[in-house]
Amino acid sequence: MAVATVKATFDVYRFEPGKDATPRYDRYVLDLPPHTPVLTALLKIRAEVDPSLSLRYSCRSAICGSCAMQINSKSRLACQAPIGPELARDGRIVIEPMRNQPVLRDLVVDQDGFWQNYRKVEPHLILDPRLPMPEGRENPMTPEEVDRFKETPRCIACAACYSACPAVEADPAFPGPMALAKLYRFVVDPRDRGQQDRLVRIQTEGLWLCLRCHLCTEACPKDVRPSERIRDLKELAIAAQGATEYGSRHAVAFKENIRARGVLNEMKLARQTMGTLGMVGQIPQGIRMWRKKPEFLRAPHAIEGEGEVEKIYEALDDHKTPEDLP
Amino acid sequence: MKLAYYPGCVAQESGKELDMATRWVAKAVGIELVPFPSFSCCGSGFMDEANQVLNVALNARNLAIAEKAGLDILTICSTCQGMLTLANVRLGDAKIKARVDGALRPLGIEYRGTTKVKHLLQVLTEDIGLEAIRAKVTRPLEGLKVGAFYGCHLLRPADELGWESAEEPHAFEDLLAVLGATPVYYRGRVMCCGFPIQFVKPETASRIAGNQILDAQAHGADAMATPCPLCHLSLDAYQNRAEKAVGRSLDMPVLHLPQVVGLALGASPDELGLSRHLVSTAAVTEKVRARA
Repeated sequence: MAVATVKATFDVYRFEPGKDATPRYDRYVLDLPPHTPVLTALLKIRAEVDPSLSLRYSCRSAICGSCAMQINSKSRLACQAPIGPELARDGRIVIEPMRNQPVLRDLVVDQDGFWQNYRKVEPHLILDPRLPMPEGRENPMTPEEVDRFKETPRCIACAACYSACPAVEADPAFPGPMALAKLYRFVVDPRDRGQQDRLVRIQTEGLWLCLRCHLCTEACPKDVRPSERIRDLKELAIAAQGATEYGSRHAVAFKENIRARGVLNEMKLARQTMGTLGMVGQIPQGIRMWRKKPEFLRAPHAIEGEGEVEKIYEALDDHKTPEDLP
Repeated sequence: MKLAYYPGCVAQESGKELDMATRWVAKAVGIELVPFPSFSCCGSGFMDEANQVLNVALNARNLAIAEKAGLDILTICSTCQGMLTLANVRLGDAKIKARVDGALRPLGIEYRGTTKVKHLLQVLTEDIGLEAIRAKVTRPLEGLKVGAFYGCHLLRPADELGWESAEEPHAFEDLLAVLGATPVYYRGRVMCCGFPIQFVKPETASRIAGNQILDAQAHGADAMATPCPLCHLSLDAYQNRAEKAVGRSLDMPVLHLPQVVGLALGASPDELGLSRHLVSTAAVTEKVRARA
């Protein structure tokens, strides 16, 4: 039985720095069955139409993590994305290299920055040399302990999250979703002895630049859910060190702010996070705001039943350890 | 239809115009907003970073309040929508539920999980319906190109929120088209506004906001519109910082969702609080008036 095909239009990013003045998009039109993976289509283009097209790939089975690219602006593994839904929605398929990494040629990017950020979090067990290995059996873990980081070992380091991340795009100080998800994995590993140091260090090395936009979680082909692991890391970092950075101070100040009246006091929050001195630099912005929106200077009315909110805090606002995480 | 009105903190404070516009639109399309002065803050994603279980418990209390009255909740903020919905999801975990129940039971509060949380965008497009809204348009926004800006927590994580596509939503654009406006599709529409790190590193936050505004502009938008008052703060109140960060003048009017709807349904700019924005909305109102 012949498989029905569709006319598939590909606009593929082509660029060779040093040789081409600007990037261009080459159009290829092929008849293909709608279930064809984008990677298969690109390899067909390279084999039959244009042998000069450069791309990275290896396993074709969503295991090696080599073929991440932008498919109609979404960071995806090309081997995992069928062409049908893309064509149905957009009428064509725009193929571009991953974002946030310099292009070496066509769809191949320079991943040095991505890997440097990964290495910076020391993604390996830090053992205490004074403690002997338990005899006969290496560091055993209970199933519950393993469960705490059940998602992160699925990561294949494809960098789709790194490509999708607006914080990486805007600030080189942010290590990226994958590095932080990996860091989380070691922080909650009961065999690791570096927990405290890791949590203290990451507070000043970019943890608080995460925007919790969850774009990484959507991009991840392995459901590692990096944004949720970063949220867990933030909570653990505050428990380990208290609120020392603007980010952690803001989170803790927010929590305390709501305790008082049940609703947010915007002015007080700014003061709690930045300190009275830090507020001085905010005066011009404050005046601009006040002229249009005078309410933000006023303390809001407390909610009805604020006593209930206080009781909930008394019951649950205790010290946090990894065991306390949901 | 009757819904428990959850305005969120910002719409009761610096973003009062959002509350004004919501009340106008609700009346026009037939939504009865039932106030609950006992609702607390949703935690806004910040409290979650300091204490997740506490945040879920506060929202369990909010959900229980509406549940007791037999009402679903209407939110007008992407972040409130996300936080309240995720609380519902996370209370499905027996371990979390037990800890939360332990805190709520002594207060006589029972969370059963029957209350749905819906954002105004969802209620307008799904419950009221696009055709019913089309029938009420008296001042079509013809010729106005509007870039929708969704706000992260209305869309993601999509598997937990269970509503729109995380990266290719269309509800807002569909609504804009019904209002007579031309929706502008651009990558930034589903991106982050930078607000969460406005206190951590304002330059970075502002660059992120500026990137999205530039993207909307490059795709021809005359104005942006958002269902999230935190995005509105980032894109409108702090637009001067975004201009500095991207080194360009932006001058992009940014409307709240019910303001765009209200304009098309015949509300006056004053009724919608348009003069309360930091970036002038005159370009929008003039365009609308010229066509009306």
